Amino acid sequence: MNAEEATHSLSAVRALFRRYVFLAIPAIGLLELAAHIVQVTTRIPAEDWAAARDGVKAGVRPNDLVVFSPAWLDPLGREYFRDNLATIGREARPDDTRFARAFEVSIRGEHLAEFEGWKVEATQHFGAITVNILDNPSPATVIDDLVDHAAPDKAQVALVEGGNETGCPWTRGSPQTGQIGFGPGIPADRFVCPRSSFVATSVVPANDFRPHRCLYAPPVGGSSVLRIRFVDVEFGRTLHGHQAISWAAARYNSPPVTLVWKAQGRTLARLTEQDADGWKPFEIDTGDLAGQKGELVAEVSAPSGSNRQYCFEADTR
Amino acid sequence: MTNTAGARPAFGWKDHALGGGLGVLYVSWLLLSARTLGFARDEGFYFRAGRQYSRWFDLLLSRSPEAFESRTIDSIFSYNHEHPVLMKCLFGLSWEYLHEKAHVFTDASTAFRFPAMVTAGVALWVTYLFGARAYGRWAGVIAALLLGLMPRVFYHAHLACFDIPIMTMWTLSVYVYWRATQERGFGWAIAAGLVYGLALMTKHNAWILPAVFVAHALVVHGRAILRNLAAGRVVLPAPLVAMATLGPLLFCAGWPWMWSDTAERVKEYVSFHLNHEYYNMEFLGRNYGAAPSPRSYMPVMILATVPAVTLALFGLGAFDRLRVLVLRILEWGRVTLARSRRRVPASLFDSTALGLSGLEPHVPKDKAATDVLIFLACATALAPWVLSTKYPIFGGTKHWLPAYPFLAILAGRGFVIALSALRRTWPGLVGWIRPATEIGLAFAVTIGPLVITVHSHPFGLSSYVPLVGGTAGGADLGLNRQFWGFTTQGVGPYLEKNAPRHASVFIHDTAWESWQQMQAEDRIRNDLRGVNSPSEADFALVHHELHMNEIDYEIWVAYGNDAPAYVLTHDEVPIVSVYRRR
Repeated sequence: MNAEEATHSLSAVRALFRRYVFLAIPAIGLLELAAHIVQVTTRIPAEDWAAARDGVKAGVRPNDLVVFSPAWLDPLGREYFRDNLATIGREARPDDTRFARAFEVSIRGEHLAEFEGWKVEATQHFGAITVNILDNPSPATVIDDLVDHAAPDKAQVALVEGGNETGCPWTRGSPQTGQIGFGPGIPADRFVCPRSSFVATSVVPANDFRPHRCLYAPPVGGSSVLRIRFVDVEFGRTLHGHQAISWAAARYNSPPVTLVWKAQGRTLARLTEQDADGWKPFEIDTGDLAGQKGELVAEVSAPSGSNRQYCFEADTR
Repeated sequence: MTNTAGARPAFGWKDHALGGGLGVLYVSWLLLSARTLGFARDEGFYFRAGRQYSRWFDLLLSRSPEAFESRTIDSIFSYNHEHPVLMKCLFGLSWEYLHEKAHVFTDASTAFRFPAMVTAGVALWVTYLFGARAYGRWAGVIAALLLGLMPRVFYHAHLACFDIPIMTMWTLSVYVYWRATQERGFGWAIAAGLVYGLALMTKHNAWILPAVFVAHALVVHGRAILRNLAAGRVVLPAPLVAMATLGPLLFCAGWPWMWSDTAERVKEYVSFHLNHEYYNMEFLGRNYGAAPSPRSYMPVMILATVPAVTLALFGLGAFDRLRVLVLRILEWGRVTLARSRRRVPASLFDSTALGLSGLEPHVPKDKAATDVLIFLACATALAPWVLSTKYPIFGGTKHWLPAYPFLAILAGRGFVIALSALRRTWPGLVGWIRPATEIGLAFAVTIGPLVITVHSHPFGLSSYVPLVGGTAGGADLGLNRQFWGFTTQGVGPYLEKNAPRHASVFIHDTAWESWQQMQAEDRIRNDLRGVNSPSEADFALVHHELHMNEIDYEIWVAYGNDAPAYVLTHDEVPIVSVYRRR
């Protein structure tokens, strides 16, 4: 084909394109309709959920994680898997480091970004649902979980004001919840302190809106200190944990919350949590205490108690 | 049927019948589907306001002097005085006369909703008229259809709220102003003032409409205004004068709350809306509960909620009209250049030099500058979300609904262009084949929006268009799944079957008035007791929104488990979780 012929054929193509380009409009309309039909007819039958649940139940171990992908699938996952598989402990985990494996229950080939470095051990298909079993490349061994210490025989709580320590008895009351803005739920069982303060295990959404199971310990404010003595803690090489202010309270530029860790009469660390910090991790070296068992003290304080729906969690490892 | 702006087709009763017919059909569809849509949070407040305000009209008819006493007015109209009363009065009167007295509507809620539904029908009618007069009848028909077949418009059109009414009043104001500009009669000018007053009485969006009218008047009458100013005279177009005087007058005269302490109350009204608190809204996986709002919110949400074919047609129509506008500017430049005899390069106003080759050298004049008006009306309704990051985004798409009729009109123009191309491509089509092919083209561009809109009901705020993957795609993108707690009705069948008698239900984001109305109309079992906290309840609802996760976790703590007993879904995406205390 010479240059003239090429030009001619290009012009012919252009003319053809101009002539029929309007057909793109009805084509878009019909393609959109076809896409809609495909999207709304893609269903996950209840039988697939049941089969996936049975499959996971058969293989999952206590220190395995069960997650649903995409994240918005979570309520359905909890409905079908129930709370013996999709437990609060798994759902409101502090992070993924403690789990040896993760059972990722997925639809539409979705994967959670947080498991990108984990190796796929196996994949099982249950109709529209895929279960990926993922290996944690470096799982941590948790020795003692301090959130599990929120019980009368495992911890003592006191409010310290002006040098006086007033005990906060373990009390069984009614759970307290409310509308949006109420803050984290307050469970029936809790350490009840003077001046309406308390310490209890709750689930707190930080700025990430994800659930975090932790010790809800809102500071009273001023010079008051909420002191939590964890009894018979088995120390490891590190004290690993997180702290946060509930998202709804973290919007008012309130002063930071201070968390002081003490053991054997000395301060291990002084941490602060500001509104914008979110679910903030910390790692404290406790190498010199490793292998020992003893009391670990956490002290929570803030210049003001207003909007300080504060919570922390930690474990020894 | 393919007139361009400025070339007026003969218009008659048939056009009104066609536009009005589309409106009537739309209202009928809304009435038929109303029972399956639960009550949005704000509707509950307006139901109450409607009932309360209707008392004033009873007083007006029975004991007129008492109706005008300040204490009577304050006792009735102080409730919900942050919004003007026009629609709430209509909601109340409709309820009183069409439900309580004449029993036209079995459900009180349908009577409350009816006036807003009628405004939706009027919106289609006016959109048809505007589109047909500006760009031809096919443009009008397609514009009206595509407006009604926007899922979000369809959702909001059901509600006893102000968002569709203000969309209608915005469009009607612009239309009447346009007609006044074309006709230049006193009657049309007065009509423009009155309609603008009604718009002000509908919702505060109307206060930004002058930006449209003033800018447009400057384009159309700028030279005359300047000439008069130079001569020491201030001469303004009659419609503008009418709107500037009659509008605020009607706003105050039609709102009894404003009859005493007027200055203070107007100040309070303005202050409320200028300092409106922010509510939470998820966008692309992030919660926005305060300024700055993301500038990308509005364009992304339009892409995600308006059918793609509508946007494609809009793109085509808007490009065409912009091209014409550019040509007009070039023509104006050439004429001005020739008059001034200044040494300016002629290529500056040469369409070929600007890459606009192949365009017609002369464009018919449109003294009413219709294209300019349509672009201004559309852009002004959208501008706040682009120009400022202070504008809250909590209303989703509802706050810029007034742009949609104009978007649809330009889509109608796009359709006319496609239709012309079809006719040029196959000129030999004769007999019934020609209209059948043309109707086929119309069918191809409306069937998708129709099916998508039908499927979106009653999850209008959860639904997203296929372009972003539908409802699941919206969830993937981290777009808001709902607000206002209107989806509670969807869990009615579950509660009906599973809740013991007199069980208590935490109703989460549903307003009390909305819950009570659902029970009064047997949409929710009426022995159930609504409560205000999960810990008081046997059953607890969670309306899934990002920031509402807090409620989920509260329930886990109070109930000691995290497994919902039932999850209401739309296209497999969780909308409402129901927890049952064990």
